[in-house]
Parts: sequence; structure tokens; C-alpha cells
Amino acid sequence: MSARQLAITVGVAVLMGVLGLALGRYAAYLVNAVAIAALGALSLNLIIGYCGQISFAQGALLGVGAYTAGNLSNAGLDGAVAILGGGLLGAAVSALVGLPAMRLRGLYFAIATLAAQAILEYLFKILDPLTNGVSGLVITPPTILGFPMNSDQSLVVPSLVILVLAWLAVSRLMRTDLGRAFLVVRESEIVAKGMGIDVSHAKMQAFLIGGFIAGVAGALAGYANRLASPEAFTLDLSADYIAMIIIGGLGTWPGPLIGAAFVVLLPEAIQRVGEAAGISDILSALRELAFGLLIILFLIFEPRGLTALLSRLRPRGIGAAPHGSVGAPGESGQPQEGGSR
Amino acid sequence: MKLKPAAAMLALTIAAAAPARAQVNVCIWGTITGPDALVNGMSYGVRDYLEFLNGNGGVAGNKVTALLLDGRYKLDEELKIYRRCVDEEKAVVVNGWSTGSAKALREQVNSDGVPFMTQSFASEVLDPKKYPYIFMAGPTYEQQMEIALRDLAAKGGKKVVIMAPDNEYGRGPVSVVRQSGIIKKLGLELADTVEFRYDAQDLTAQMLRVKSRNPDMVYIQASGPQAIAILRDAAKVGLPAKLFVGNLYTISPTIPEQLGEAAEGFRAIQAYEPYGADIPAMKQIEQFAAKGKVEKKDIYYMKGWMEGIAIAAAIENAIKKNGGHPPDDIKQFRQDVRDAMEQLTALDDGGITPPLNFANHQGSTQARIAEVKEGKYVPTGDWISAGS
Repeated sequence: MSARQLAITVGVAVLMGVLGLALGRYAAYLVNAVAIAALGALSLNLIIGYCGQISFAQGALLGVGAYTAGNLSNAGLDGAVAILGGGLLGAAVSALVGLPAMRLRGLYFAIATLAAQAILEYLFKILDPLTNGVSGLVITPPTILGFPMNSDQSLVVPSLVILVLAWLAVSRLMRTDLGRAFLVVRESEIVAKGMGIDVSHAKMQAFLIGGFIAGVAGALAGYANRLASPEAFTLDLSADYIAMIIIGGLGTWPGPLIGAAFVVLLPEAIQRVGEAAGISDILSALRELAFGLLIILFLIFEPRGLTALLSRLRPRGIGAAPHGSVGAPGESGQPQEGGSR
Repeated sequence: MKLKPAAAMLALTIAAAAPARAQVNVCIWGTITGPDALVNGMSYGVRDYLEFLNGNGGVAGNKVTALLLDGRYKLDEELKIYRRCVDEEKAVVVNGWSTGSAKALREQVNSDGVPFMTQSFASEVLDPKKYPYIFMAGPTYEQQMEIALRDLAAKGGKKVVIMAPDNEYGRGPVSVVRQSGIIKKLGLELADTVEFRYDAQDLTAQMLRVKSRNPDMVYIQASGPQAIAILRDAAKVGLPAKLFVGNLYTISPTIPEQLGEAAEGFRAIQAYEPYGADIPAMKQIEQFAAKGKVEKKDIYYMKGWMEGIAIAAAIENAIKKNGGHPPDDIKQFRQDVRDAMEQLTALDDGGITPPLNFANHQGSTQARIAEVKEGKYVPTGDWISAGS
């Protein structure tokens, strides 16, 4: 990550933090929602955007993180430990989800992740001792490093700090051999093998790391809602995350945050516009249509998402992606040399 | 003659010095779009009653702003909306929707100290001591089920099957009823509990399983859309509608409209007078309809209208207690409204239900069974007090 990108990352985080802390509980909740969604989108961007492995199990992986962190913090552990636990179990489960990737590709692998999502949803409902079944696991607000997280405002700083750290970590990762291996695997597994890359190992690493970040995001989601419920981690959530990274820009550096902010805040914007115009009922009904249409429009006209649109507005701006992510997987183009701009 | 300008100035001074009317906000969310949108008349009913009052002098002279939001029957959406209602809109009363959100928010409602009228009838959120801010407006799901079971026992039936979705709305009440032992106490046998996805469109497999149990009654712990799927697929496998009894969220004109003959004989728990009944509340609704639009002309709208009456009465009493104007401190205002709600006894809701009594936070625990006859729900007996 270049110094400029680091400055932008920290600057955006600080701005979000100020908004969340200054504008009351509802704003803080929205900031947390965007930060958590960005984390989840970042993890999926790693798996799909950088490594080219389609996964429909993101919602369930967040659930794994939420339930794990909830159980650990309800047992008295510090929230920081519980979040780490959520990440670790998320990684472990994600690795299991990714196992079929060893033998399956493309659509078949995607279906396998769909099955994993369904299985995990079912497990959330029946593993009563751990999940409290369909009633959901009520999570007592924890302390994180001794600071009580008993309000939406108190969660703003941890959410943003974790987001920035995850962002830095992924950016750093993409400058390593493993990160470059992801990109080559994404473009062509055959070429990757020809270059001596252990494709299975690379895929599994993507799932492990992506699953860890998803588990951490799920832990924060559990703390934000004070509840881990099967209804919150369904296929709908997985689809939302896929929408985030497509709209934001698959395989781009700022794409997950831009996409997360867009997907989380667009319903709010539609709601407020509808209220102002006195047609909120109608616009509410059109919300799902609006999302579906946006995804189709982006796929047709700008598969590189909002990141590319923004980069056209500012050629040397935030759309620049240093990790060789020249566009959606499958597009031709030379990977750029990683490094600062 | 000099008196006139002086009088005018005095009047203006008094008017300027009079305290500005505080905003009284009520926040409502419901499934405007989503799997149980069929019963969202109750959210519109609350909003419309408050609008009706605004057109007739307001509540204790104050205009009430009723904000209706779409929870979409999604838990995270409902949790977000709750925060907006409490923090941003500074609602003095919140009218929530799902059982899941009521359970998820019960501790927060306590700590926020905001009167919360839920559309859920889950007994697990009904505890005036533990959850002093949560209210509901009718018999709990468990009480409704008990009414149906008593009716079956009285008619000599033995075997019952319960159908419910695999979410909190379905499993929660069924679990409570099973654990209560009421089925055995009434001399009945629970032949099976059949679960299904809340948004499932094809329940043929489930109906075949029900048929294999040969029950005397099938109780549906679900809402209108699910009842439609159940009755439609029941007809496919040869199960008559008269075997089925649904909770009060399955009493909807859409069921006989969509199913025709396949709905004849279906029974449901009825806790409110239907839309169009010859009752004083209907006269009010007709007055409102003359100037505004009634979104849903069904029994759930009547429920919402009734809830609006209760909410408005509590707000009015709280304002009167504060000398005729809303307290400046929203926390105090919410506390006063909560106390006033709990003190509502023998409240006339225009005949929608028997007189309301919120001392137990339920308003009314009376219900009766209504049966679909020639496309309309017809009561088959008197009001029964649940739990008696």
C-alpha cells in the first residue's frame, strides 16, 4: 500500500469515526454496519476478487464468527479474545468449505459453497446448546481490552481499527508471493501450475485468510446487534456481499469499502427520499428491484464497479489499484507491478 | 379606541410567550414488503388512527407525527429501525413487528425505557415485571393455541398435529405449549409437529405427512400466506379445510378469495371485529376514509386502529398528567406514557374488542373461533377468555 493509500485509508476511518461518535446512536450503528460490511466484503474480495473462487457461503461464515464470539464473551472472556476466536473458527470452517475447491471448479465449486451455506444455516438452528436455536444467542455486551462495549458508539473505534488493520494486512499480503499467486490462479489455473504455483495451496490459503476476516466481521456483527440469530446469516446476506464487491469493484483495493457503503447506505437513502416525497411505501417495494438492476447494470456496463467509475473521474485518484487487479476476473490485461504509486 | 391596539399587542405577546408545541412522535415499523406483508394492515391502522386524530384536534391538542417504516421481516433491518426510532426520531412510543425482533430488543427496550407495543404475541416477551415497557394487544400465541385445543377437546377430538415455520415465530410458541403440558391435561395427543420454511411455496410433502397422522385437528401457528400454501396443498392430498385451525394471523379475506372452495370450513382464532362491522370504530374509519386512503380493509387494520386508540389514550393521559403539555425530557415523557398505558382499564376501543385493560400489558385476552362459510369468516361461538 502506498503512503497515499494509507493516508486515505486512515483518513476515511477517522472521518467515519467522527461521524459515528458525533451524530448519535443511529449514526454510530450505520458506521458500524458499514465497517462490518466492508470487513466481510474485504474477505470475499480476497476469495473471489483476487483468487477467483466463487463462494456463496459468506453469510454463514459471518454467523460462525458471531456465534463463536458470542459464546466466548458470554462465558466471560474479553471481547478481543472472543473476536480472535471468531476469526479462527471462521478460518477453520472456511477451510472446510474450501476443501471441495481442490477438485471442483467454476459453477460446481460455487454450488458446493451454496450447499455449505445451507448446511451451516441448518446447524445454526439445531445446535441449541451453542446457538440457542431459532431464538438466537443473546450476546451480553463485552469489554474489549477492558473498555465496555455497551453502546453503539463504543463499538465504533474497535470496528474501524479492525477494519484498517485488516485492510493493511490484505494490501501487504497482495504484495507477497502468495498474493501474486492468487492473481495468477484467478487468471488461469493452468498457467499458474505451469509457473510452479501450488494452486490447491493458494486456494486454501485464500479461504483460510478470507474465512478469518469473515469470522472477525461476524463477531463484530454479533456485538453490534447483541444477538446472533440464524435469520441474520442467510443466503440473502451472502448475496448482499457478492453485490458489494461487484458494485464496489471486484479485485480492487477500495472496492469492498465503496461497495459496502453503497449497499448498506442505499436503502437508507431510498427510505429518506421516499419519506421526503411521501412515497416511501412504493420505494420500499422497489428496493429489491433497484439492487438487482444495479448489479445487472454494473455487470453489463462497468464490471469493474464504482472504483473504475471513480477512477475515471480522477485518473490518479482512489481507483488506482496496485495489486494487479486490472478488472473483473477473466478480463484480459497485464497485472501491474505491485507497489506504490 | 386605544384599547384595541393594546389588546392586540397583548394577544400577540401571550401567543409569542406561549410554549411551542412539543413534537410527539410515534414510530411504527411493519412488513410493508416481505413474507407477511399480507397482515400489515395493523401497521397502517396505527398510523391512520393517529392521522385521524390529527385531523380532529390531535392528542390533547398536540399533533402526533406517526412514522411508518418497512422492516421487511428482516431482523437486522428491524434492529436498525429501532435505533432510528429511539435515537433519531425520539419516538415516545415504538410499535414493532416480529417476534424475533421483540425478543432481540427486550433488554434494550428496558434500558432505553421506551414503551414498545409489539405485533408479536409471544408469551416470552410478555412479563410486566421483567419487561415493563413491552405491551401487546391480544391473547398470546400460546393462549390462542389453548383456545383451539379446548375447542377440540370439547368436541371429542383426540389427535392434533401442529404446523409451524422453522423460525422463532413458529417454534417459540409451539415449544412453550408442549412444555406446558396442556395438551395432555386436555386428554389430547400431539401426533406430530410439522415444520416448514417460512417462505416455502410448496408444502405437499408436509401435507402428506400430516395426512399419514390422521389427526382430528391441525393447528397452524403461522400467518395468512403460509395458511394459503397449507390449505392449497392440503386440498391436493385430500385433506379438508375444516380440519385446520389457524392463529389470529390466518384470518384474512385473501384466504377464501384465493382458495375458493378449498378454504370452506377453515377456522381461525378471531380477536377483533372484522372490517365493516357495525361498530362505532367503523364510523371513525369511514370518516377517515372519506378524506384519506385506507390501505388495507381487513381485520388487521382493525387491530392497528385499536392499538392506535390505546397508544393515543396513553399519550393523552401522560400529557394531561404534565399539566397539558408534553414533558420536555423525552425519557420522562416515555416513562409517563408507559405508566399511563399500564393504567388503561376499561378503555373503549369503539367495539373492536371488549373493553381494553392493559394492567397485564395485553389489552385483551378474549378471542373466538371464526369459520369460513361461503367465502366469509363467521364466528362460531362467543368470546372466550384465554387462560380461563
